[in-house]
Amino acid sequence: MAFYEQHIHPKPTTFLSKYIFSYDHKVIGKQFLWYGILFLFVGGLMALMIRWTLAYPGQPFPVIGSFLFPETGGAVPADTYAMLFTMHGTIMIFYAITPILIGCFGNYCIPLMLGARDMAFPLLNMLSFHLAALSGLILMGSLFTPLGAAAGGWTSYPTLSTLIGSPGMGQTLWSLAIFVLGVSSTMGAVNYITTIITLRAPGMGYFDMPLTIWGLGLTAVLNAIFLPVLGAGVLLLIFDRLFGTTFFLAGAAATTGTGDPVLFQHVFWIFGHPEVYILILPAWGIVSDLLSFFARKPAFGAKATALAMTSITILSTLVYGHHMFTTQMSPLLTQTFMTLTMTISIPSAIFFANWLGTIWKGSIRFHSPMLFSLGVVFVFGLGGLTGLYLGTVTTDLYLHDTYFVVGHFHYTMAASVLLGGFAAIYFWMPKMFGTIMNEFWAKIHFWITMLGLNGVFFAMMLVGYGGMHRRIYNPFIYEFTQKLIPLNTFATWSAIIMGFAQIIFVVNFVYAVFFKKEKASQNPWEVGTLEWTIPSPAPHYNFKEIPVVKCGPHELGNPNLGNGRDFQYQTEELA
Amino acid sequence: MSVKAPNIQNGLALQSSIAMIMTLVSFSMLFATLFLGYVAYRFTADVWPPMGMQRASLLIPTISTFTILLSSLSYFALEKSVFNKDWKKAKAYFYLTLTLGSCFMGFQFLLWRDLKLTGIFVDSTVFGSIIYAFTWIHAAHVVAGMLALLFLIPAIHQTIDEEKGMIRTKSVGQFWHFLGIVWFLIFFGIFVF
Repeated sequence: MAFYEQHIHPKPTTFLSKYIFSYDHKVIGKQFLWYGILFLFVGGLMALMIRWTLAYPGQPFPVIGSFLFPETGGAVPADTYAMLFTMHGTIMIFYAITPILIGCFGNYCIPLMLGARDMAFPLLNMLSFHLAALSGLILMGSLFTPLGAAAGGWTSYPTLSTLIGSPGMGQTLWSLAIFVLGVSSTMGAVNYITTIITLRAPGMGYFDMPLTIWGLGLTAVLNAIFLPVLGAGVLLLIFDRLFGTTFFLAGAAATTGTGDPVLFQHVFWIFGHPEVYILILPAWGIVSDLLSFFARKPAFGAKATALAMTSITILSTLVYGHHMFTTQMSPLLTQTFMTLTMTISIPSAIFFANWLGTIWKGSIRFHSPMLFSLGVVFVFGLGGLTGLYLGTVTTDLYLHDTYFVVGHFHYTMAASVLLGGFAAIYFWMPKMFGTIMNEFWAKIHFWITMLGLNGVFFAMMLVGYGGMHRRIYNPFIYEFTQKLIPLNTFATWSAIIMGFAQIIFVVNFVYAVFFKKEKASQNPWEVGTLEWTIPSPAPHYNFKEIPVVKCGPHELGNPNLGNGRDFQYQTEELA
Repeated sequence: MSVKAPNIQNGLALQSSIAMIMTLVSFSMLFATLFLGYVAYRFTADVWPPMGMQRASLLIPTISTFTILLSSLSYFALEKSVFNKDWKKAKAYFYLTLTLGSCFMGFQFLLWRDLKLTGIFVDSTVFGSIIYAFTWIHAAHVVAGMLALLFLIPAIHQTIDEEKGMIRTKSVGQFWHFLGIVWFLIFFGIFVF
C-alpha cells in the first residue's frame, strides 16, 4: 500500500539531464543495461581467451592475439592467463550479471510493476549508477597498470592477493573497484527495499506483487546485509596492501605476523554464498512470472514460490562453510554446514515443482522469453543437482578446485542468470524501447546459446570429474589430463559458437532500439501486470493516475472471463 | 478486496525511517565483520597484546568517549528543539554538536600521534593494525556524519519545509547516534578489555 503519492516530475529537456544525470528509474535501468552489455562483451572475450588457451595451449589467439600479446607471438602468456580468469569472473559476476538483472531490471521493473512513478529516492538511484560507472573505470584502468590487473582469482584469497602474491597496483585497484561497487549496490538495495515497502499501489499486498519483485526484493535484502561484509574484507585487504597492516599475512609471509589468511576466506564466503542467491533470485522471480504468462495459467503455488524463495534467502546466510571444507575445518562444523546446505534442497524443490506445475497442461506460447525461461528451468535443474555433490563433504574433498566446480557454478550463476537476463530483455523490450525484437532471430539466438552453453559447461564438469584442476595455465603437462584435451577442445568450440551467437542478439537488439520503425503495442504479450496498462514505451511519469490493484499478477485462463481475453489486468476486479 | 486511501501525512517520514534502518543495518554489518575479525585474532593469540607490545594509553580514548557521548546528548537536545520548533535553541545545539564532532576528530589525531609515540605502528603486528584500522574506518564515518550534519543547516535556518527538516533531523540523528554506539564498542572492546 503506497505510503503517499509521488508527484509527476517535469520532463527532462537537455541531453545531460535526459541521458547522463537522469533521475528517472527507467533511464537509469537502461544505463545499467548498456553498462552490463558492454561488460558482458569484455568478460566474454576474456572467456574465449581462457578457453582458447585450454584447447590450444601455447598457440596464438586468433585475429587479435598478435596485437594483444606481441611478446609471445599472440599466445596468452601464463601471468596474463591468471589475470584473465580473475577479471573474467569479476567482470561477469559484478559488472555484467549484477547490472543487467539487478541494476537494469530492478530499476526498470520495480516502480512500474508496483504502480509507482519512480523509486523512493531518485537522486540516490542516479548516484548508484554513477558510482558503478566509476567502479567500472577503476577496474578497467587496472588492466593498464605496469604489472597488470589482479591475478588472484575472483575470490582474491590472500596470500595470492597480498603484495607477496600480487605486487603492483592491479590488485589494489581491483579491491577499490569492488568496494566502490559495493557502496553503489548497497545504495541501490536500500532504495529497492524502501520502494517495495512504501510505494506499492493501493490495494497491492505483498502476495499481489509479481514474483519478479519478490526476487528483486529478496536480492536487495541480501545485498544490503552482506555486501558490507565483503566491503570490510576488501578494505582490510587494501590496508594490507597500502599501509602495511598484517590482517591477512601469517607466518613467514609477514614481517611480524599474527595475521590469518583464512579469515579472508570466511569473510569472503559469508558474503560470497549469499552472492550466489543475489544473482539468481531475480532470475527465479522473472522466470516464475514468465512461465505463468506464457503458459496462460496462474503461477502454480505462487505464495509457496514466494515463501520458498524467502526460505532460501534465509538459509543462504547459514551455509557459507561448504566453500571451505578443505581448510582443515572441524568435522563437526563440516557436518553442520553440509546438513544446512542440504536443507536448501527443500525450498528449491518446492519452487522447481511449482514451475513444472505452472506449465503443466498450459496453453504454452513458445515466444522467445518463454524459450529462455524454459532454458533456465533446464540449466538450473542441472546446476542445482550438481551442487549437491559439492555440498557433501566426502565428494567435495575430491571435486574441490576441479573444473567440476567451475561447470557447476557456471550452470547456476552464468547459464541460469544469462538465460534469465535474455528472457527479461526480450520480454520487457516493448515497454523499455517501444519495439519488439525479431522473434525468428531471437529463437535462433536461444537455440545456439542453449546448445553452446551446455556444450561448454557440461564438458567442464566432465573434465573436472576426470581430475582437471581449475586455474592452471597448461593442465596438460600432467599425463593423466592429456586424455581430456579433446573434451576441452569441444568445450572451447562450443564457447566460440555461443560467443558468435551473441552477435545475433546484439544486431537484433541494436536494430530494434535504433532502427525499427514498427512500434510495439501497449501489451503485446497479453499479460495483466501494471506495466502493461500504460503505453509502450513507458511515459516519463509512468502512471498519470496511480492504479488501484484489485487482483494478483497471474490472472490468466480464468473461465469466468467474458471480455474476449484470457487474462485480466491487476486493476480489474477478479472475474 | 478493500482498498484504503494512501496515508500521505506520515508517508515521507516512514519512508526515511525504513531507508535509514536498512542503511544502519548495512553499516552495522561492516563493523560487525571487523569485530568478527578482531574476536578471531584476539582469541587465537597466545598473549594479547602480542609480546613486545604494550597497551595504548586510555586517556585520549576516554576523552573521545565523553566527547562523542556529549555530542549525542547535544544532538538529542537539537532534535527536541527542532520538533518543538524552538529554532534559537536548535541553532545553538546544532553548532555545539558540530563542534563536539570536530573535537572528537581532533582527539582521534591526538590518539594516532600518541600511539606512534607509544611504539604502536600500523604495521607493528595485527594488534597495531586493528587499532589503526578500526579508528580510521570509524573516523571516516564520523567525517561522513559531519557532512550529513551540514545538510541540517537549511532545516535549522528554516529555508526548507518544516516537516522535511524534521525528517532530515531524525535521519541524520540516527546515523550520528549509531556512530556513538560504534565508538563505545571500539573503546570497550579494543582499548579497555
